[in-house]
Amino acid sequence: MSASARQSIVLSAAGVDIVPADAAAAGPKTILKPLTLELAEQRIAVIGANGSGKSTLLRLLNGLVLPSTGSVRVNGLDTAADGAAVRRTVGFVFTDPLSQLVMPTPVEDVELSLRRLKLPKKERRARALDILAGYRLAHLAGNSIYELSGGERQMVALATVLAVEPSILVLDEPSTLLDLRNTRLLRERLASLPQQVVMSTHDLDLAADCGRVLVVDDAGIAFDGPPDDAVARYRALVG
Amino acid sequence: MRGHAHLVAGYIPGRSPFHRMPLWVKAVLLLLVAVLCLASPAVSVPAGAAVTTAVLLAAVASHGVARLPWGRLWRAVKLMLVFLVLIAAYQWWEHGALVAWQVVAAIVATVLASNVLTATTPVDELLDGLAAMVRPLERFGADPERFSLTVALMLRSIPFVIGAFSDVRDAARARGLERNLLARSLPVVIATVGYARATGEALVARGLGDPEPDDDASGGTGPGR
Repeated sequence: MSASARQSIVLSAAGVDIVPADAAAAGPKTILKPLTLELAEQRIAVIGANGSGKSTLLRLLNGLVLPSTGSVRVNGLDTAADGAAVRRTVGFVFTDPLSQLVMPTPVEDVELSLRRLKLPKKERRARALDILAGYRLAHLAGNSIYELSGGERQMVALATVLAVEPSILVLDEPSTLLDLRNTRLLRERLASLPQQVVMSTHDLDLAADCGRVLVVDDAGIAFDGPPDDAVARYRALVG
Repeated sequence: MRGHAHLVAGYIPGRSPFHRMPLWVKAVLLLLVAVLCLASPAVSVPAGAAVTTAVLLAAVASHGVARLPWGRLWRAVKLMLVFLVLIAAYQWWEHGALVAWQVVAAIVATVLASNVLTATTPVDELLDGLAAMVRPLERFGADPERFSLTVALMLRSIPFVIGAFSDVRDAARARGLERNLLARSLPVVIATVGYARATGEALVARGLGDPEPDDDASGGTGPGR
């Protein structure tokens, strides 16, 4: 099947609470109130204040966080019961690429993603180099990831996640650590992807590229609709 | 966080005989270096010193043959310098100059030889080699892929911890707390735990360490084209 086929993520009354480890503290803290949502659009942005619950909402989508109530289903797969299958469907890009890249060099990191395919070593390397070349990163393939610029690192992170061809891509504030030029590069790259994309962002221009924007406020969805209205609502919330 | 990758042995691309040598040959040579250096003193002290000196010279020569920058050789020694001096002083005091030389030369020779191995072998190949070594243990429940991933994570984490130390030192200095041991150590611990958590989350998100997918499993996970 192709990624342009309609993907569907369904949250049914999915909420997240955490029970404090310290028994003396007040009762469970609500990180995300129970939400019922269907995410089927090709481009979806999540905006909202720091600590509002954006990251938790995104982490629900690939089972990094499991709902304490309700359920989350991705193309029919439950994130709690079929976590591994969900994570093969949903790629996740973190804000800080340094925490995402686990190998010493870009080519090794892409190969790490490809290990799942059980290719012979030579073929795996050739494929990893091909993928990096597709991101114009071939010249950096053997460099230490510590030597790359923030923008290059984020592109490498994107390449490693997309190397295994997930059908849905989730990004947690992908442009927060990027300068204007790299943000534009990322924006162009995202626009060209066949995958369904769900991302949180503080960059309202980036959010404006999306057909549907969710505004998260105080652990719940304050607005759900087209970008212009969403941004207006977000500005109003900030006051 | 600053990069400190240079402190950890990294691959230096090249076409030297060592670069082209299969990994297992290099591993056997390294083992030979270690055995010669550690076992030769059992014959006699002068024999041990002579063999170890010869091995050390060979290790230095290998460095040249592999066309590694000499700065790298010095850096490897510099990192251990304090310990080498302490060990040498103690051995000299206890057993005399010849033994002190043998012990220090043995340490330097093995470190230099392993330096040649890591500098001429891409990390990926090293990991495959490690995985191959663990493979016979698979029947007892060992997971070679997981083993080599663990080693890779270790290699990747050392520069982070070193970087955290220098960041925290700068931050302490900026606040005039450079003499405060707590201000210089506690944030490193917290940063390291945070890093470990973030790395774990990234591994889970990428499905690394998940059980192998069955061929027929999971509808709707088709790759995008």
